[in-house]
Amino acid sequence: MLKKIAVLVTISVGLLIGCSDNSSSDSTSSQTSQTVWEQKSQMLINWADNFIIPNYQNLSNKLSELETAVTNFNVTPNNETLESTRLSWLEAYKSWQHVEMFNIGPAEQTFYHLKMNVYPTATENIDALIASGDFSSLDNSPYNSAQGFPAMDYLLFGIAADDASILNLYITNPNFSNYLTEIMDRMVSNTNYVNSEWNNYRGSFIASVENTATSSANKMTNDFIYYYEKGFRANKFGIPVGIFSGGDIFPEKVEAYHNENVSRLLALEAMDAIKTFFNGNGNPSLKQFLDNFATEEMLGLSSDINAQLDLGKSSIEGLDSNFVNQLNNDFLGMAITYDNIQACTVLLKTDMLSVLQIATDYVDADGD
Amino acid sequence: MILKIDNYLKRSTASSKLAVFRICFGLMMLYSMLRFWSKGWIETVYVEPKFHFKYYGFEWVQSLGSYTYLLFIICILCAFLITIGLWYRLSILLFFLCFTYIELIEKTTYLNHYYFISILSFLLVFLPANKCFSMDVFFRKKQYKEIPQWTVDAIKLLMVIIYFYAGLAKINSDWLFKALPLKIWMPSKYDIPLIGETLLQQDWVHYAMSWGGMLYDLSIPFLLFYRKTRLFGFAMVVFFHVFTAVLFPIGMFPYIMIVSALIFFEGETHDKIVILLKKIIHPLRSMMEVSFIENVNHFNYKRPKWILWTLAIFFAIQMVVPFRYVLYPSELFWAEEGYRFSWRVMLVEKIGYTNFKVVNKTSGSSFYVRNGHFLTDLQIKQMSFQPDMILEYAHYLGDHFKSQGHKNIGIYAESYVSLNGRSNQQFIDPEIDLLMQKESFKHKQWIKPFKDEIKGF
Repeated sequence: MLKKIAVLVTISVGLLIGCSDNSSSDSTSSQTSQTVWEQKSQMLINWADNFIIPNYQNLSNKLSELETAVTNFNVTPNNETLESTRLSWLEAYKSWQHVEMFNIGPAEQTFYHLKMNVYPTATENIDALIASGDFSSLDNSPYNSAQGFPAMDYLLFGIAADDASILNLYITNPNFSNYLTEIMDRMVSNTNYVNSEWNNYRGSFIASVENTATSSANKMTNDFIYYYEKGFRANKFGIPVGIFSGGDIFPEKVEAYHNENVSRLLALEAMDAIKTFFNGNGNPSLKQFLDNFATEEMLGLSSDINAQLDLGKSSIEGLDSNFVNQLNNDFLGMAITYDNIQACTVLLKTDMLSVLQIATDYVDADGD
Repeated sequence: MILKIDNYLKRSTASSKLAVFRICFGLMMLYSMLRFWSKGWIETVYVEPKFHFKYYGFEWVQSLGSYTYLLFIICILCAFLITIGLWYRLSILLFFLCFTYIELIEKTTYLNHYYFISILSFLLVFLPANKCFSMDVFFRKKQYKEIPQWTVDAIKLLMVIIYFYAGLAKINSDWLFKALPLKIWMPSKYDIPLIGETLLQQDWVHYAMSWGGMLYDLSIPFLLFYRKTRLFGFAMVVFFHVFTAVLFPIGMFPYIMIVSALIFFEGETHDKIVILLKKIIHPLRSMMEVSFIENVNHFNYKRPKWILWTLAIFFAIQMVVPFRYVLYPSELFWAEEGYRFSWRVMLVEKIGYTNFKVVNKTSGSSFYVRNGHFLTDLQIKQMSFQPDMILEYAHYLGDHFKSQGHKNIGIYAESYVSLNGRSNQQFIDPEIDLLMQKESFKHKQWIKPFKDEIKGF
């Protein structure tokens, strides 16, 4: 009996190995000769080299331009230097929209994102800090909302009713300049840290191809979906339009509230970032993976997602350039835009996750 | 016929069979409970959540908060006592009660194999598993060589039911003719050495595994039953369960099934195992004074009728419950009406996305709930595709918002579910106020019908 079993086991193991040798030729489920491993590996390399690293680099460049503008403004606060600071701020803020989804690795470890774009900004805290002249509390997490782009939005556009009064504050009270410098320094050093750390992190990022809850491919996909749902859908649209609060609208919660004119611009920039990341910009990303590994029923999934993103985009384009006006005049229009964006969340969180088969949560549990 | 039954009930078999089973079960439980604890799951599953999903009819089961640890300590202690066979009846009873209580606290973590452990420990309460090689024997100074055959067969029957029903459930069009969900799951196992990038990516492998799995489940009870095929059957059991352990995160289940299958072997095998175990613990035994232990041939129950009737009812329920789904008009995998407690394992790949809208029915204003405020990630994931959990959560939200002063509210679900690789469909009727719906065994009208058909059991 035992001998028979031994023979049987040997034969089946032999068969197993035999099959695995010539298997890649007759693959029917994938339309590419690439293996999943290779696909995922190329996807990670594309994400690191063509998205994450260059986008952080770009942000870093834009921030150093902004830093120069801020320095000039602090030396000679006038209409001209204020205007050029504001322009640089907007350019940097636009490039920020291309990194906000990459809350992974060094950014995640240092809570970098919480220090860059939490809005609405805590104006009372900022006022109090400026009055006291002591900015050390900015190290504490409750003061995350007193720094970053939203704080600068307030400092450059919101601290007084018009440009003349804003300039007057900077001219008469050095604490304003000091605070602006402090915020600027923090943004620059935090960004540069993340940016330079990526040189070390890249290797382990692209090597983590396996399918576990903490592998790069899975974490990045989860981060992307989380960003779409929270940073993009909820923060930019859902919360201001009162989706989570019984229809009470909150115009003061839109992004770049104090600027009063660029909330739509930033949202469109973010939408571009989302679309480009999903489609990979000519290299393997989520779209290619879905196309190659979807079941028959879901072969059209990537085009469905793109169509839904396009609908979201055109819906945003139809809004007022200032979301505050949009909310005050026609909040229903904003609610419809939200619904269009939400429809894609459904595709990402059900169909796409079904094809990708990655752990959607970091909870480790047995199944059956 | 009655004579036949009577004769059968009088048949006896080696008491070592249940002794070996008891020791294996005890050790497995000991390890399982410690493993669960060491992974931090007591905290994340039972202590941290603000809200627990309850089984219908067991809403009275309350979480004990951090005292849940106490329940685990009792279970661990009992598992140890079961292993050494000390105060067996009491410890297995206590184990059954505590383990089942733990399971009843939270529906999110329902697994067929936890249910298996619950009912198996219930069964073991009635079985003479401490009549051989146990501390109870040592202290009572009485050892039984033989126990009634039906006490061993009861465990076999439970195993047969599980395998057979699991096999029956695999006879459906998705599993056999579309190789779903294996076709979705296997390619994602690309990181398994050797076979991950090769075999597991092949269509024919998915079909072979689906058909093989079905045939395995249906035939294994018979292979184990007959002496001639037993060894082969057991080899299959080992191979199958080790293979699934490599492929899926299913914890201890494969190992529990492997050691449980030992029960099918002859008495001699178990006697040998006992002798082996005695050798292993020999240093311990020599420390204790093993005084004269009386050897008695047959163990007989004092009141066997009472126990036999209990077990008869128990098995009748086990055989009927998995078929209760036929009473519901809905698609079983979609609406999950009558899905649990039926040995339907690994049959569906389901992902849901469910949000809740709280509507003030007087003013018409509404807002959406952030599930993360109330539920853990695991709860959100499970709730999102199970209608009874959606309903229970909706009522919890209703109570919560009413207590916050919201009046005349309704709660509506916007729910989308993808089943076995199909594009998502709306799951719950968004026009239905879930607060007006009550949990019951009746068909839930507010589940949107499945827009496809899955034929089979």
